[in-house]
Amino acid sequence: MRRLEICPAEDLPPGEMRRVEVPGGAPIAVYHTASGFHATADTCSHALASLTDGDLEDEEVLCPVHWARFDVRTGEPQCFPATVALAVYRVEVVGGVVTVLHNEEEEEVA
Amino acid sequence: MNTASAVDISRLVDTEEGWVDRSIYWDPDLYAQELEQIFARCWLFLAHESQLAKPGDYVTTTMGQDRVIVTRKRDGEIGAFLNSCPHRGNVVCHAEAGNTRGFVCNYHGWSFGLDGALVGMHEQAAFDRSPGFDRTKLGLTPVAQVATYKGLVFGTFDPGAPSLAEYFGDFTYYLDVLLDNDEGGTEFLPGCISSVLNCNWKVAAENFAGDALHAGWTHDSGARAMLGKGVASVVDGESYQANVNGHCWEFNLDLLGNAATLGDRAILRYLREREPAMAERLGPTRARMVGSMASVNVFPNFSFLPGQNTFRVWQPRGPQQIELQTWVLVNRNAPQEIKDAYRKGVMMTFAPAGVFEMDDGENWEYATRANDGVVTRRQRLYYGLGLGTATTHPDLPGNLYRGQVNDANQRAFLGRWAELMQADSWDRVTS
Repeated sequence: MRRLEICPAEDLPPGEMRRVEVPGGAPIAVYHTASGFHATADTCSHALASLTDGDLEDEEVLCPVHWARFDVRTGEPQCFPATVALAVYRVEVVGGVVTVLHNEEEEEVA
Repeated sequence: MNTASAVDISRLVDTEEGWVDRSIYWDPDLYAQELEQIFARCWLFLAHESQLAKPGDYVTTTMGQDRVIVTRKRDGEIGAFLNSCPHRGNVVCHAEAGNTRGFVCNYHGWSFGLDGALVGMHEQAAFDRSPGFDRTKLGLTPVAQVATYKGLVFGTFDPGAPSLAEYFGDFTYYLDVLLDNDEGGTEFLPGCISSVLNCNWKVAAENFAGDALHAGWTHDSGARAMLGKGVASVVDGESYQANVNGHCWEFNLDLLGNAATLGDRAILRYLREREPAMAERLGPTRARMVGSMASVNVFPNFSFLPGQNTFRVWQPRGPQQIELQTWVLVNRNAPQEIKDAYRKGVMMTFAPAGVFEMDDGENWEYATRANDGVVTRRQRLYYGLGLGTATTHPDLPGNLYRGQVNDANQRAFLGRWAELMQADSWDRVTS
């Protein structure tokens, strides 16, 4: 288990998302929605697109290439052409800092 | 580019004495040359800005026979691109209009942004492994120049074409009659009506460029049925034909002549009440043109009728067919009941089932098809009405002719056509 400190919570206001590079791993997308902070794999499970180049709308992120939609809380695809769920990661705010709990085993299960 | 040497164009159009060879309305070789010399080079009407109000809004249309998408990009600018995937050529947008994040080809999932750039595709990793594959070089082909004039969006495929302002020249003086008679500007009412007519595109364009003559004859019965009286005589009032760079406006100074055919008194009251304000904005002469008996063609194929406010493009679909797109233009600040009155009035008159449009369609189809006869083709057509009527007026720029019953504008339209058909460069085109 790795703890990735992303940024102070006030730097990621509601409605925004950011891409985080993970040394030795796939990039992660961190979102702030009405329901709180969430994190998924940043690469679309269909084509090779960065989801943070797309749009965050309510609880869904839209891929910029074919507009596949994913629920950022569960990683589940919501429409064609995506059929495979995104890996999801637990997010905590520790001392005002958004922190992603990055567990390679968890990633595979999700 | 220049294929003009195949046919001696100057032999086909005699603007000095008013004679026209019928081949320009049927010859497939001349038509192919028109697509290159006219439609691939001139500024062509694309859209009204009101159709592209917010980022992601788009319309599809054609420039000649080339399909294009016109978008409001995320940066707020207007873009225009060929509606054809660089991969296998399929159309990437099948809708007429809408709002979108981008365009995805149905065939192999190539995806394009509102700026036409290729964003990605299905099985992208396989493309990325292909030597020489460069995503940045495979966007939708942009239209070379896009520009707007007071709400109207135009594009040209020719990077060497003069600016839109130069292309219009002094014709903007006349365009402002409809585009700038109110501080709020204009908009298209929602919706576009498409129809197909089996006529040559120039037959329609010429009619709007300067055929006031047909109104009192062709449309007489329709006017009697609709309004209880025939079309008013256009001979007696003060009337003109004006043209600049092949753009043509024939008009009366009667304020209401065309508007009256919509059969709604609210429209006439609206124009009468606004005349002082329009005169303040445009001067008294142009204020009298706003709803007057008049017709207009912006070279080559964008036409409209002041008063009825029907705007249309004659899209060429071969030497003997056009696809007609029509819209209704209103002042943005006009009361809703006036906008509704224009919409209903145009439906009754200049829509596919409108009385006047049906009158014209019948004539234009036979005026095109009769030229099929091999002997018929040998006889030139007479375009000499109004020779020697050139005049001047302190308020009216461009080439001006006295009397709207006149072939002067049709001669000017065809003169411009012949000039562009022969010219291998814009330097050889007069302005």
